[in-house]
Amino acid sequence: MISKILIANRGEIAVRIIRACKEMGIETVQVYSKADKDSLAVKMADRAVCIGPPPATESYLFYQNILSAALAVKADAIHPGYGFLAENPHFADACRALKLIFIGPKSNVIRRMGDKAKAKELMRESGVPVVPGSDGIVESLDNAHEVVEKTGFPVIIKASAGGGGKGMRIVLEKADLEKAFNYASVEAQQAFGDSRVYIERYIGDPKHIEVQILGDRHGNVVHLFERDCSIQRRHQKLVEEAPSPSIDKDTRKKLGDIAVKAALSVEYDSAGTIEFLYDIGTKEFYFMEMNTRIQVEHPVSEEITGIDLIKSQIRIANGEKLDFKQKNIVRNGHSIECRINAEDPENDFKPSPGKITQLMIPGGPGVRVDSGVYPGYSIPPYYDSMVAKLITRGTDRREAVDRMKRALDEFHIEGIKTTIPFHKEVMKSKEFLSGQYTTDFVNKYMG
Amino acid sequence: MSRLFPKCTRCNTSHFVTFLKSAHYVCSKCGFHLRLDVSTRIKMLCDKKTFKEIDKDIKSVDVLDFPKYMDRLQKSKKETGINEAVVTGECKIKGFPTTLGIMEPGFIMASMGSVVGEKITRQLEYARENNLPAIIIISSGGARMHEGIFSLMQMAKTSAAVKRLNDKGLPLFTVLADPTTGGVTASYAMLGDVIIAEPDALIGFAGPRVIEQTIGQSLPQGFQRSEFLLEHGMLDMIVSRKQLRATLGTLLSIHSVRPYEGEV
Repeated sequence: MISKILIANRGEIAVRIIRACKEMGIETVQVYSKADKDSLAVKMADRAVCIGPPPATESYLFYQNILSAALAVKADAIHPGYGFLAENPHFADACRALKLIFIGPKSNVIRRMGDKAKAKELMRESGVPVVPGSDGIVESLDNAHEVVEKTGFPVIIKASAGGGGKGMRIVLEKADLEKAFNYASVEAQQAFGDSRVYIERYIGDPKHIEVQILGDRHGNVVHLFERDCSIQRRHQKLVEEAPSPSIDKDTRKKLGDIAVKAALSVEYDSAGTIEFLYDIGTKEFYFMEMNTRIQVEHPVSEEITGIDLIKSQIRIANGEKLDFKQKNIVRNGHSIECRINAEDPENDFKPSPGKITQLMIPGGPGVRVDSGVYPGYSIPPYYDSMVAKLITRGTDRREAVDRMKRALDEFHIEGIKTTIPFHKEVMKSKEFLSGQYTTDFVNKYMG
Repeated sequence: MSRLFPKCTRCNTSHFVTFLKSAHYVCSKCGFHLRLDVSTRIKMLCDKKTFKEIDKDIKSVDVLDFPKYMDRLQKSKKETGINEAVVTGECKIKGFPTTLGIMEPGFIMASMGSVVGEKITRQLEYARENNLPAIIIISSGGARMHEGIFSLMQMAKTSAAVKRLNDKGLPLFTVLADPTTGGVTASYAMLGDVIIAEPDALIGFAGPRVIEQTIGQSLPQGFQRSEFLLEHGMLDMIVSRKQLRATLGTLLSIHSVRPYEGEV
């Protein structure tokens, strides 16, 4: 029985977890770096333990101190949130070795899904559509030529151990393949210490659609419909909504079924997300990757289904069965999330850490704000720049958008620059309102 | 618990064992390259399932009737699962065939007795006969005192074998890991055509304390560490463990005398 949870994260997600724990009557222990000693999570938790200096490598990633803290306070479980150690299979194993419950999936699932090429192979075997490309790793240039014979151009070369655009190359024609292959391998080796790459057909101008999954330790898996996260800048999501405005009923059903099938194939037992590339033209979707953790944008799924994903995660980790079936999950209304970052949108999104001198949080019907800040709080420069997530819900998309516009107008943060003006522009944009926007939206319309 | 959470021998930080394994046994706190056993080295360096051991059954005998030598040998055999402090064989690295010798620091500190010298010599001869390059991963406390003058003889024997390999135009690449000392440093370790060291490894002949007492002076900072040796022209390069396989692959591709066989 979980009665005390240590939260191995910071910022808004730490606050979100503490809130869920309080509602469940679970004691909370917040770990923090010296830069976070005044954070909202530290103030809200029942207990707080300092785990090191500001750099994440010496605090939130320094798992030795986190585990020591968990043992010292006699916690039963650790919630890793997102980022930091959330998708580190070794951390999950280390928790188990110390008889601490890791609130997340089994380590072998994290491991299998963490290797992108292997994950794709596994999904292909389970009948999940994947972008045409190499069967796993491309060992040599000859091998690369064989692959592109089958897929045609354009193709994208990606690092197997990668992320964040490193080790990635788009190749438009055969003549560029050799150079791009060599560059991608070298870059992958430098960035991740692993030169292995894979190749797939490049789907130009797609949508990023992901399906929220919940699985328990008794073989039950359900989906909570999709989210559309196509509004991105340099692979960072900025606006998310559920459901996707450009997916019809049949595609939605197909996506949900496929996602459940994929999760069942790896005996998935926590909250997770399966990401797909969606081609609006052909209505085809392809598996991209699985995130074996809670996502930043989970609130939009919570808003349209009424299911608390953090509480569900905790209950599953406690060995409980999901207390609902797929047929009980009803989609209700529409929800949008804007990530309010401490960045200056007029200055190429340059980070803008500093002290929040005044803060006015929007409210009223259908508005939710998940945040870790308060007036007088100084945003430290060491971590990501997210200040708050502004989430609105409406009976339909129109109402959710109108509420978002209203809530953005109400939202006042002084002392730092934020992305609020950017979001106001997005909400006004014809392309966004049409719902037919793709991952190229920011480049095309907001440049 | 100590097996699940081994400590860095340099900074004393505990690491969960699989974390350490995924980091190639490099301490994430201080960057120290921890000592590695032979089987881990093979997994880290060789193309999958390509390592074929040679001279596996050559075992040491106690020629001098040295006290407790046989007990030490028995204990080391049991702990490491191998017969002597070096394992030699043939393998492929990044598709290129080569001979490979790896010293086992867990076996009487990989000290060089008659068998270690013999196996290294045979590896070099095997390379010469089969037109293959030679790579030796070194981590050794030096000559094995339990075998007295017989162990010192190995310095000359292995050095002569390196010369014969070189005479045929075949390269020897040595990789010096922490610690590389004594008679091994003074023979084949420093005879590589390309001498590579892991970062911050102790590399020397006599230990720093002995030198300090002998010359009556305090030693400069970083003395006998890889970076110091590189700066003073004793090494060709320092390569972190994460890059070692790729670096050896590149060296073999440049110096290979056989065509690429394409298996990785």
